[in-house]
Amino acid sequence: MKDGRFLTLGIETSCDETAASVVADGRFVMSNVISSQIDIHTAYGGVVPEIASRKHLERVNDVIGKALSDADVTAKDIDLIGVTYGPGLVGALLIGVAAAKAMAYACDIPLVGVNHMHGHIAANYLEHHELEPPFMALIVSGGHTEIVNVPAYNKCEKLGGTRDDAAGEAFDKIARVIGLSYPGGPKIDKAAKEGDPESIAFKRVYLEPGSLDFSFSGLKTQALNYLNQERQAGREIRVNDVAASFQEAVVEVIADKAVMAAEKYGQKQIVMAGGVASNTRLRALIEEKAAVKGIAVLKPSPVLCTDNGAMIASAAYYAYKNGEEPTLELDAVPGLEF
Amino acid sequence: MNILAIETTGKYGSASVIKETGEVFSAISTEEMNHLKGMMILIDEAIREAGIDKSELTHIAASVGPGSFTGIRIGVVTARVMAQMLGLPCISVSSLEAMAERVLDAAVSAGSLYVVPVINARRHQTYAGVWEAEFTSDYEQKTLCAVMEEKQYMIEDLLAALSSKIAELEAEASGRAQSLKDMLGNAVFFTGDGIDAYKEIIESSLPDGLYTFAGEELRYQHAESVARIALRKAKADRVLSYNELMPEYMRLAEAEQRLKAGTLSDRIRKPVQI
Repeated sequence: MKDGRFLTLGIETSCDETAASVVADGRFVMSNVISSQIDIHTAYGGVVPEIASRKHLERVNDVIGKALSDADVTAKDIDLIGVTYGPGLVGALLIGVAAAKAMAYACDIPLVGVNHMHGHIAANYLEHHELEPPFMALIVSGGHTEIVNVPAYNKCEKLGGTRDDAAGEAFDKIARVIGLSYPGGPKIDKAAKEGDPESIAFKRVYLEPGSLDFSFSGLKTQALNYLNQERQAGREIRVNDVAASFQEAVVEVIADKAVMAAEKYGQKQIVMAGGVASNTRLRALIEEKAAVKGIAVLKPSPVLCTDNGAMIASAAYYAYKNGEEPTLELDAVPGLEF
Repeated sequence: MNILAIETTGKYGSASVIKETGEVFSAISTEEMNHLKGMMILIDEAIREAGIDKSELTHIAASVGPGSFTGIRIGVVTARVMAQMLGLPCISVSSLEAMAERVLDAAVSAGSLYVVPVINARRHQTYAGVWEAEFTSDYEQKTLCAVMEEKQYMIEDLLAALSSKIAELEAEASGRAQSLKDMLGNAVFFTGDGIDAYKEIIESSLPDGLYTFAGEELRYQHAESVARIALRKAKADRVLSYNELMPEYMRLAEAEQRLKAGTLSDRIRKPVQI
């Protein structure tokens, strides 16, 4: 407690960002430290789990220390620790979990484990202070493309997900073959702004009528075939047009299905989450389609879309307030479901 | 002085508290590879057994490897964060040295000269080191002196090096009345899970009767011997800040090895040219 506010420290190490943050009353970000390893993994063309684990270990003390000092508090002021315990890379997760447990024990602070995906949704509580469940959540990231009904804090009913690649994964793969470097998502977004989204007719994959699932592997194959044909015909690849057309094919389906889900479940709000929620075209298109149906779209600013400790702190706060038992026996669960 | 020692580099995690007098209080997991889930409970148990409060700890020691990469990290990060939060210095202890320490009495009793902890790193690889057991004539004081570097060895290379050490001893012993075996007894004392993996290779490589294996009760990592080494280091003021406590993996990550060797697949390293 400091100045009458309940302070939660959130710790996140599920992939390649070592992050910690102090959040007041589950809603107000007092510090948000993110140490990204992206520069290291770029040399390998993607995240190398063993290297990510090694780097987390080297950085986690300083990241926690800086989160405390940036918030102008000490460990004694912290009322609750929340840590991501899944889903994610097991070796990466366990650094955060072990660090959180050591701190919880040393300082006698209760600890709760947080589902990383609940954290992404909770990122919205940090910027939209009046937002409360129920709402429809759309989670799009390098590992996830999911539509989730959220009836209450940290209650998630998954309605649909990807049957093969996640949206972010599809962006990364296409980015790589058109010569844009890792991470592909932001590079595609940027290149697409200079391209014509209608120049190449990539298919929209909606699956069975009414389905809220996604599939991007067929689209990916179509794009690869297109690129091969163009190359064999000796034509120059128009990178910006490919990026724009491919992106449009991905985000249009996502936007349609998110709006369809909200309508079907009578939700008046769609809440976006995950790294790909920063995609500017997805943000614009989903707003456009939702507005027609009278549905509001909320999204966190880009810094809270990426993996961060603040979202974990917020989700931990609501889990704790809703009666989740603190534990020092937390384990990492790489394949944790919603 | 109350030192907390953490050992998570092997199959069973353990924690010990050692007092200035050398009295040790320990807790060891009964479940294999349960380090992450069980470690704080073991630490709490060891501290309670010692009859102290965690605020009375003076140092945090960890076995920093070699061993399981994941295990090493759990122990090291736990030690680092506890030290940071409690404002305590850290002590780094080699898992191999602690394994040698653990069997020192048994090795001296067996008449061994060399103590050789061997950790199985799969595919004929090991992490190992060789220590000479030194002791006073009344056997009261026993100490370890490193005679071969702690590093990654192919089991065959390690055994070849030990064979030549035995040959040197043989040369020294030649001309004396006693037989070599009487002189040297079980010259080499092996310990560690490398025995379980490479027993047959060892048996076919070294002369019979010149080596022996640690019993299973002493063969594996335990925080107690980490604590004993840590106490000596604390008394000699060989301490570190939490940020200086680093894992000793003894091996680059596979992707790093390949990047260095230039064999990281071009497909994943560079954007594909169309």
